[in-house]
Amino acid sequence: MTGAIGVITLNDPPSNTLALPEFIPPEVLRDWTSHPELKGLIIRGEGKNFSTGGNLDRIFSANPDELKDWMQRGHLLLEEIRRLDVPVIAAINRVCFGGGLEIALACHIRVASENALLAFPEVNHGVMPGMGGTFRLPAVAGFSASASMILGGDIVAAGDALKMGIIDHLAPKDKAFETAMTLLQKMTSDRPVEVVRFVMRALRNAYELPRKEAMAEEVRMFCTLAAREAERRRKGDS
Amino acid sequence: MTLDWTLENGIGLITLDRPPSNTMTLGFFNEFRDLVATIGRERGLKAVIIRGRGRHFSSGADVQELLDCTEPGLMMENYRTFQLLEEMPVPVIAAIRGVCLGSAFELALFCHFRICSHDAVLGLPETNFNLMPGIGGIQRMAALAAEARAVELVLRGNTFQAAEAFTYGLADYLVPKQQVLDSAMSLAAWLPGTYQRENRKLYIQQYLRKHHDGIQR
Repeated sequence: MTGAIGVITLNDPPSNTLALPEFIPPEVLRDWTSHPELKGLIIRGEGKNFSTGGNLDRIFSANPDELKDWMQRGHLLLEEIRRLDVPVIAAINRVCFGGGLEIALACHIRVASENALLAFPEVNHGVMPGMGGTFRLPAVAGFSASASMILGGDIVAAGDALKMGIIDHLAPKDKAFETAMTLLQKMTSDRPVEVVRFVMRALRNAYELPRKEAMAEEVRMFCTLAAREAERRRKGDS
Repeated sequence: MTLDWTLENGIGLITLDRPPSNTMTLGFFNEFRDLVATIGRERGLKAVIIRGRGRHFSSGADVQELLDCTEPGLMMENYRTFQLLEEMPVPVIAAIRGVCLGSAFELALFCHFRICSHDAVLGLPETNFNLMPGIGGIQRMAALAAEARAVELVLRGNTFQAAEAFTYGLADYLVPKQQVLDSAMSLAAWLPGTYQRENRKLYIQQYLRKHHDGIQR
């Protein structure tokens, strides 16, 4: 954690292969993200690449029950990341394939270097994305582009990924982390931690709750912030 | 009065009328609530257009007044007003020139269509005042823009140009500033009899196909 920004690094260079779909134990993630001052999170890869994805040998040698359990846990971990009430940015340099792309798609925002390459190569090995990519990709890129990307198993360059809506910002060569950090600072520095968390919660509610409930909570959160800020200003004046 | 209302040929025109920046005061919200309730009873209404008097749509609410909103009642009432507007069975069109910020942008996001001048400046700057948008702007932003964009724009609280708003899905089309009201009138008078809010995307696509020179990408 640097300042109020946490950094999770996929750490098995050079390819940062994911030994398991559940790439961090959930209790470790909870521990890391429970810090009361935390205002944002970046997920990146150690070294040159983001991640080449899962370890296929391991996946194909697992027995069916074991594999199902792994995938389920991976899926739950990604859901937990997406439901964090701080913004999470994937900082993608170079290779981001398969499970790596699944992780990136579970983040709120994706920043990729101009030399980044994205793909779901699973079909080339007779399988398919199994941790939510098949519904997260269409949510950002639309149905037809997603179908051709997943079925084709082709590599998409960062510039094209930007046009397709898969990534949100393009960074200079190998500078995804720096660009993600700058963006996250713009979104969170000088903001009280409650502002960041309330905004994220209100957005999550917008996707998950009926409008009426989401609105009632949004207004409650607004009023809490207004009361705090009014109090702060009164104190500042005296 | 902070509002002006005219109804001509079935097209209702709401003008935010507190120039130069048409600030949305408590008085404005009261008048606006009454007006929206009245409009709902108007017979033969074909469309509603909302614009600002003068150069700007509106700079939004007064921060000092927002800081007094420490009880949910008033904000919920404002939200219900915006929702009533959203639920109107006729096209509701925001005609946006100049600045459209904070509560004013939230209002515009509840409209069915947003026509912007090229020089329009939009945004939800609330986080810069240690607040957050509180009248449903977050809900509408989540519905209209990609999640990543909604997260970034609401947290950063930065202003952005109309052209950006268009690429984010937050503006339907852009025209020169002299043509904003005329364009809104043209859309309002187009085929309001066939309009259904659920089909707003198709409706605007078909309109833009017929009036192609209005498109600015």
